[in-house]
Amino acid sequence: MTVRSFSFPRSTVVVITALVILTPLSLIFWQSFLNAPFFNPAKHLGFDAYRFIFDDPDFWNAFLNSVVIAAGMVTIALPLGAALAFLLTRTDLPGQRIIEVLVLVPVFISPMVLAFGYVVAMGPVGFYSLWAKAIVGEVPWNVYSLTSIAVIAGLTHVPHVYLYSSAALKSLGSDVEEAARVVGANPLRVALNVSLPMTAPALFYAAVLVFFLGFELFGLPLVLGDPEGHLVLSTYLYKLTNKLGTPSYHLMAAVAVCIVAVTFPLVLLQRWLLKTSGKYVSVKGKATRQKLLPLGGWKWIALAIVALWLLFTIVVPISGIALRAFVEQWGEGIALTEVLTLENFTQVFSQSDQVRAIVNTFLIGTIGGGLAVACYTAIGLAGHRQRGGVAKVLDYLVLIPRAIPGLLAGLAFLWIFLFVPGLKELRNTVFSVWLAYTVVWLAYGLRLISGALLQIGPELEESARTVGASSAQVLRQVTIPLIRFGLLASWLLVFMIFEREYSTGVYLLGQGTEVIGSMLVSLWGAGAIDQVAALSLINIALVALGLGLALRFGVRLHE
Amino acid sequence: MNKLDPPLPAKPTDQLVVEDLHLQYGDNPILKGVSMTLNPGEVVALLGASGSGKTTLLRSVAGLEQPSRGKISIGQAVLYDSEAGVDMAVEKRNLGLVFQSYALWPHRSVFDNVAYSLRLRGIAVSEIGQRVDQALTNLGLGALAKRLPHQLSGGQQQRVAIARALVYNPPVVLMDEPLSNLDAKLREEARAWLRELIVRLGLSALVVTHDQTEAMAMSDKILLLNFGKIEQQGTPEDMYNRPQTQFTAEFMGSNNHLPGKVTQVVDGRALLEGEGWQLWGAVRGALKIGDAATGIIRLERTRIADGDGDNRLRTEVVTGMFLGDRKEQLFKLGALRIRCYGHLPAGSRASFIELPPDDLWIFANEAG
Repeated sequence: MTVRSFSFPRSTVVVITALVILTPLSLIFWQSFLNAPFFNPAKHLGFDAYRFIFDDPDFWNAFLNSVVIAAGMVTIALPLGAALAFLLTRTDLPGQRIIEVLVLVPVFISPMVLAFGYVVAMGPVGFYSLWAKAIVGEVPWNVYSLTSIAVIAGLTHVPHVYLYSSAALKSLGSDVEEAARVVGANPLRVALNVSLPMTAPALFYAAVLVFFLGFELFGLPLVLGDPEGHLVLSTYLYKLTNKLGTPSYHLMAAVAVCIVAVTFPLVLLQRWLLKTSGKYVSVKGKATRQKLLPLGGWKWIALAIVALWLLFTIVVPISGIALRAFVEQWGEGIALTEVLTLENFTQVFSQSDQVRAIVNTFLIGTIGGGLAVACYTAIGLAGHRQRGGVAKVLDYLVLIPRAIPGLLAGLAFLWIFLFVPGLKELRNTVFSVWLAYTVVWLAYGLRLISGALLQIGPELEESARTVGASSAQVLRQVTIPLIRFGLLASWLLVFMIFEREYSTGVYLLGQGTEVIGSMLVSLWGAGAIDQVAALSLINIALVALGLGLALRFGVRLHE
Repeated sequence: MNKLDPPLPAKPTDQLVVEDLHLQYGDNPILKGVSMTLNPGEVVALLGASGSGKTTLLRSVAGLEQPSRGKISIGQAVLYDSEAGVDMAVEKRNLGLVFQSYALWPHRSVFDNVAYSLRLRGIAVSEIGQRVDQALTNLGLGALAKRLPHQLSGGQQQRVAIARALVYNPPVVLMDEPLSNLDAKLREEARAWLRELIVRLGLSALVVTHDQTEAMAMSDKILLLNFGKIEQQGTPEDMYNRPQTQFTAEFMGSNNHLPGKVTQVVDGRALLEGEGWQLWGAVRGALKIGDAATGIIRLERTRIADGDGDNRLRTEVVTGMFLGDRKEQLFKLGALRIRCYGHLPAGSRASFIELPPDDLWIFANEAG
C-alpha cells in the first residue's frame, strides 16, 4: 500500500507570510528616512521628511483632529455599544433577532459609501435636510463640522463595541449575576456592580479598538471633512501629493510611520489586555438558562432609542444613496417626481473602467476571497497546536498588518509592484489589489480561521495520531474536514469585507485594477456625484448579497 | 458554650412551604406538582438524577425560575402564588443561595464578596466589618479576607460562598450541589464539616444533591424526585430501609437485581422464581401470582453462607475485588450476577450465598 505523502510546508508558509508583511513595512520605514523618492538616484538618508511634516502646521492640525475624532468616537460608541449589548443579551427587548442582524450592517458597509450617504441625505441640500428645512425653516444640522464627523464616526462604530461587550456578557456565567440578585441587589445594581466590572476588560479592549479605528479613519473625513477643510492624518497623507505637485513619497512615508507609531502600540496594548483579562475567566461560573430581565414599560423607550440609532446609521444614509442614484439632480425647489431617472446607471455601464470596477470587485470578493481564505488557512494551520518559536513569530507577525491602515498598505504595495523586478507585469492586474487586500485583512481572516480551529477538541486530533495517522494525515483527514463549515463561513465574511474595502485600492487604482471602492474615491474627487451614487448602490447590493447568503446559511457574522 | 466561639445568629422560626408547584420550559414539563415543607432548623435534601427537576425546584424557591402554577411561602411571606398573581423579585426574597459553581465575584476580595449583601441593606460600615469578620471566622476563613477568589483553593471558595449566603441571616439557606465541585477526597470531610456547621448554627437548609450518601449524611429529611414528581419522602432511615417503590430502592443504595416470576404469595411473602433458582422475599406494593417481578437486595444484606439452607443459592465464584476496608465478591448463577461483601477461602470455585427473605424486596415490574 502506498501512502500519498504530503508534508505540510510549515516553514515555507511562515517565510512567505513574513516576506509579504515585512517587505512593504520596511519599505515605508526606509523611505521615510530618505530625502527623496527611493528610486531617485539623488536620494540620501536623513530626517528631512520628518522635519518637513513636523514644521507643517497642517500636520499638527490633522494630528489633533485625529485625536479629537478618535476620542469622540470612544465617548459615543462605548456607552451606546455596551448598553445595546446589555439590552440584547440580558433583557426581554422586543425584536432582538432582527436588531442583532441590523446592528452589524454598518460594519459591512463601506465607510466611503456611508459618508457619501450622509452628504446626499443630510448635507446642506440633502434630502432629509431640505425636508427638515421645509418644516422648521432652516437646516438644523451641519454634517461637515468636526463634531458631526466625530458623532457620525462614533455612531457607526457602535457595532464594534457591541460585538465585544455582548461576547463578554454571553461568556459571563449567569450565576455570578444571580448570586447578586439573591443577596439582595436589584437588576440595575447587578448591572453596575457585577456585570459592568466583570466585562470591563472587554469594554476597555473595545475602547482601544475604536480609538485605533478612529486614528485610521479615511473615507468619512475625506468626504465630510473636505467642504470645511478638516484634515485628519490619513487625509493629510492623501493630499500631500496635491500640496507639493511632485510625488512626495518620502513625506507620505514619514506620515505613515507617524500613524503606525500610534496604532502599533495600541495593537500591542490590545493584545496585552486580552491576555490579562484571562484572570477573571479562570473562575468563570457555569452558564445556566438565563432568566431575561423584564423591562416592563421601559422596553418601548429602549426600543425607540435603538430604532433611532438604526434610523440614523442605516436608514438615513442608505435611503439617501438609493434616492440619489435614481435622480438626475437634487437641490432646493426640485420635485422628486420630475427628476427620477435611470440615466446614472446607464452612464456607469457605458464606461468601461466602471464596468471593470464592478466585475473586478465581484471577482476579488468571490475568487479572491476564496484564495485569501486558503492563505489564511495555511497560516492558521502553520501555527495550529504549535508551541515555541514558529508560533510566537507568527503570532506577532500577523499583528503588524492590523496597525497599518489600508491606505498605507496600498501605497507600499504600489511601490513594491513598481520597483521590484519581475512584479511590474502584475502591477496592472487585479492580483496587486488582491495581495494588498489579503495582507490588510490578514489579522481579521486569521481570527476567523483560528476561531474555527479552536472548535476542534485536541483529543480528536490526538486520537487520530494514536490510531496511527501521521500529522499530515491528521491535517487532511481530521482537521480540515472538521473546519469545513467554518472555512465556508469565513469565505462569505471575507467576501463582504473585500466588497466593502476601498482605501487599500486607492493608490493601486489604474487601468485594469479598478475596484468599486477606489473608484468611488476617485470619482468623488472628480465630482461625479451621479456615478458615485449609482456605484455606491451597486456596492451596497453586493454586500447585501453576501449578508443575505450569510443569514440564509446561519453564518455567525462575527468571530 | 466556649468563650472563643463567636455568637450564633438567631435561630430561624419560619417554615418554608411549597404547594403543588408546576413549571415548564415551553411544552416540556419540568416540575409536575411538587409539594414540600421545610421546618425551622431542619435540613431537607432534594435528591434525584439529572433532569429530575431538583435544581429547578431550588431555583424556583430562590425566584430564579418562573413556575407556571403553585405557591411558595416562608412563614407569613408569600414568595410566589400563581392564583394571587404574586411573584416576589429575587432580591426581595431574602434567601441565601450557595451556587454549585460558587459564583464568587472574581473582581471582589473575599471580604467584599461577603460584605456586599450587607452594604445593599444599608448597614453601618462598622457593623458590616464586625459581621463579615464573624461570618468568616465561623467558616474558618479569618485570614483570607483580603484575597481574591482566584487565589483560593476550591474548598476555600466553597466556604466563602457559604459565608456570603449566611451573613445576612436568611430564614432558609438553599444549596445547589454544594460539594460537587470538590475533589472526591475533600468531599467527605466537607460533608461532615457542613453538617456540623448547619447543626451548630441551627440553619434551615434545602440542599440539592444527586448523591444518595451525601443526602443521607447531611439531611433530616430526603425528597426523592423523579421526572418532576416526588417519588418518596422521609427520613434517611425510612428512605434506605423502607423504600416504597423500586425506583427508591434502587436509588438509595448498592443492590443486586434478580428478575423472575412470582409463583406463590403468602402472608406478605412471595416466592420469586428464575431459571434454576427460587427465593422467598418481602412483598412490596401490589403483587399477585404470575407477575413478572424483580427482587432487590442491598449488597451488605447479601451474605456468604457456609452450606445449603433456606433462601440460599449455590453459585459459582467469578472474581473478587479488594476495596481496602472490605472485599467485594462476584458470583454467578446462570445469567444472574450477584455481588456481596465478605471473604472466601482461598481457591474456592463455588459458594452458597444467603438472601434473607426480609431483606429481599420484591417489586412487580411495571407493565410495558
